[in-house]
Amino acid sequence: MRRITLILREEIDPFLPIEAESISPEILSKRIDVPVYVGNEQKLLKDVFYIRVDGEAAGPSATEIILVGDCHQVKRIGEYMTDGKIIVEGDIGMHCGDFMSGGTIEIMGDAGHWLGREMLGGKIICHGNAGNYCGSGYRGGRKGVRGGQIFVEGNVGDYCAECLFGGLVHVKGNAGIHAGGNMKGGKLLIEGDCLMPCGDMFDGEATIYGHVTDFLPTFVQTGHITEKGHRLTVFKGDMAHRNPKGTLRVGSFERI
Amino acid sequence: MNYIIKNAYVVDPINKISGEKMDIFVADGRITDEEPKNAEIIDAGGFLTLPGGIDSHTHICGTKVNFGRYMSPEDMRAGRAPRRNGMRAVSGYSIPTTYGNSYRYAQMGYTTLTEGAMAPLEARHTHEEFKNTPLQDGLILTLFDGDWGVMRAVASGDIKRAAALIAWRLDAVKGYGVKLTNPLGAEMWSWGKNVECMRKPIPEFDLSSAEYIKGVIEANEMLDLPHSVHLHCNNLGKPGNFTCTIGSMGLVPDLNPKRQTCYLTHVQFHSYGGTGWGDFCSKAEPVANMVNLRPQITIDMGQVMFGRTTTMTADGPMEFNLYRLHQDKWSNHDVEMETASGVIPVIYRRKNLVNSIMWAIGLELALLVKNPWQCMLTTDSPNGAPFVKYPEIIGLLMSKEYRDREFATIHPKTESRVVLPALDRELTFEEIAVMTRAGQARALGLIDRGKGHLGPGAEADIAVYPFRPDRLDPSKQYAEVIRGFAQTKYTMKAGVLISKDDTILADKQNRIFWCSPKVPEKYDMAKDPDLIKTFENNYSIRMENYAVDEKFYLSGSVKIETETRL
Repeated sequence: MRRITLILREEIDPFLPIEAESISPEILSKRIDVPVYVGNEQKLLKDVFYIRVDGEAAGPSATEIILVGDCHQVKRIGEYMTDGKIIVEGDIGMHCGDFMSGGTIEIMGDAGHWLGREMLGGKIICHGNAGNYCGSGYRGGRKGVRGGQIFVEGNVGDYCAECLFGGLVHVKGNAGIHAGGNMKGGKLLIEGDCLMPCGDMFDGEATIYGHVTDFLPTFVQTGHITEKGHRLTVFKGDMAHRNPKGTLRVGSFERI
Repeated sequence: MNYIIKNAYVVDPINKISGEKMDIFVADGRITDEEPKNAEIIDAGGFLTLPGGIDSHTHICGTKVNFGRYMSPEDMRAGRAPRRNGMRAVSGYSIPTTYGNSYRYAQMGYTTLTEGAMAPLEARHTHEEFKNTPLQDGLILTLFDGDWGVMRAVASGDIKRAAALIAWRLDAVKGYGVKLTNPLGAEMWSWGKNVECMRKPIPEFDLSSAEYIKGVIEANEMLDLPHSVHLHCNNLGKPGNFTCTIGSMGLVPDLNPKRQTCYLTHVQFHSYGGTGWGDFCSKAEPVANMVNLRPQITIDMGQVMFGRTTTMTADGPMEFNLYRLHQDKWSNHDVEMETASGVIPVIYRRKNLVNSIMWAIGLELALLVKNPWQCMLTTDSPNGAPFVKYPEIIGLLMSKEYRDREFATIHPKTESRVVLPALDRELTFEEIAVMTRAGQARALGLIDRGKGHLGPGAEADIAVYPFRPDRLDPSKQYAEVIRGFAQTKYTMKAGVLISKDDTILADKQNRIFWCSPKVPEKYDMAKDPDLIKTFENNYSIRMENYAVDEKFYLSGSVKIETETRL
């Protein structure tokens, strides 16, 4: 087991974004002297973080990376990661865990936008809030998250789980506008409230325990169920789409 | 800079040179007979040397191309290359940035491009994009498919007035030729309908598309334009549309001894049999036979290649049908009193029977048309496939073995719907040279401008491909042919070396060729009260602001004045 602790140096300007796709167990289990970009300047990882390495690793699966400090401007950590573990003790920046296909990322603070974008597998746990486009696809793409699990204990921003294609996105708090827009598969579970969810839904399952504001008129009511003590109204849709197979369950709703 | 290209294996169909080892002399941007002084020597090492490639139908500049870019940001995730050695950063695959287009075409040896459809009102945008396509000369075909003035003139039988309107508009928007996209379809589309083939007159105008095509062809010849009418037939992409295509070909008289009288574009999309998608099949054979019988017609393939691409056309209703089929993104656009357009991203799949048949039809057309001067190699880029697929198409046409290998990977039911497996013809390098440059130069009327050949006086547009044709059997070594055509050793445009291997060496070499027919005072439409009234009442732009300023919008300009018979 190898544990790599990265502590952000205090001299780094907090307003400059740090492009750190090299912070992933694959890369750091092999070598530590990897480049990162701070603003438009290329630097070595050790110039940006204090690095402490404990133990020897047999491979990425036996590698644990711990980020300490306010990393809200550190982007793209865990990109393309396949195994191992990343623990973020504070906040983390945009594009955390995009394209990841295995392993675990645990974020103690808040996550930035595009958390787990186009993820294929693995698990992301965020104990704080997440930004916009949590567990979504990227601009113009047809398939977003295809597998894996994302748990957010706080609230998420807008466009959560857009173009969801597989896997599970679970939000304990509230979501912003257009959660599950263009969903094509997978499961979305929001325990709080949200606004205008699941527009142009093709397929998949979305469940909202809380209250939905501006509920779209293009969903057809099919019945009621009770899940974990929540009485939910079941809808099929989005009927604006030809041959829709999506299921949307909501606690309470107010039509647009 | 003067050059001597030594030891080149030249194929130049216009000058009847077919595989001769020779030296080419370049002085002051032109090819000469005499050995120039102070010349840099380039050793072509027996490599295949052709005139610079000409694409007679592609969509690289203009509003609908740009709208494709807006709609498909995901396309920009492919084909990314950083800035290096004076080359700009580029991105995109089916609808790349303008520099991406230019660099990729240059590396394939292309030096002249024809934008297939420009809405006249959107001319400024098209010219601005051409200005940023630095390594190729541009020709812009201008849409007249729903031009109210020309429609009214043809409907009333006044072909001279139609010709004068075309002349005025070409001159105003700096266009090169006349494009008809689904004639009258745009007008019907503004009523939410489409034209049914070509015989039924449309309301309001009492004009059928057959009459319109004939009228515009006559007007085009009256203006003596270098290019013929460029026709995208009615009913594109509908099963059973081959009858309409053959009917349109039947309308074309033989009026010009120097070139064809009508150029039918992306005929693959117009050679479909069957009554619906269930019994969809290839009708390339009757269409190719019709072309073989009529020397006044030139076609281009519009080959479909498998993969992701973006379709864009001025044929609005067709794109709507495609939208209903795919249920994906769709854009639709109306250009006041002139034309319409639509854009849709698509994926052509090997496992899809219809797509497999479409792939076969394009190849069948190229193989069944006997005279290569009558069938150009295009993909209607990016509608059938992005132009970077041209080398693969060349490989398919030159090797039966490669075709059979590819055929084994497509939908198994294709065999019963197409004739492709029965075709043994393998094209030669000379025929490929005709289909990619010489034939296109003739079809576009560019031979007089020194394009498409390597004779003395021609513009020094030269492409040297890194393989030796005399030591290569293309029917077996097709992989080397494809690799060779994908990237030139040297590409030269007008005596300037624009690319060597994978590096671009030049910038700002582009010019726009445009036509300005000389019309008599009586037919000068700038003073025509009807046209002035049309602009005052119906256009959102003033007549004096309509014309594109040559100085501001054209990077380099070659004005072609023609003598008219008005």
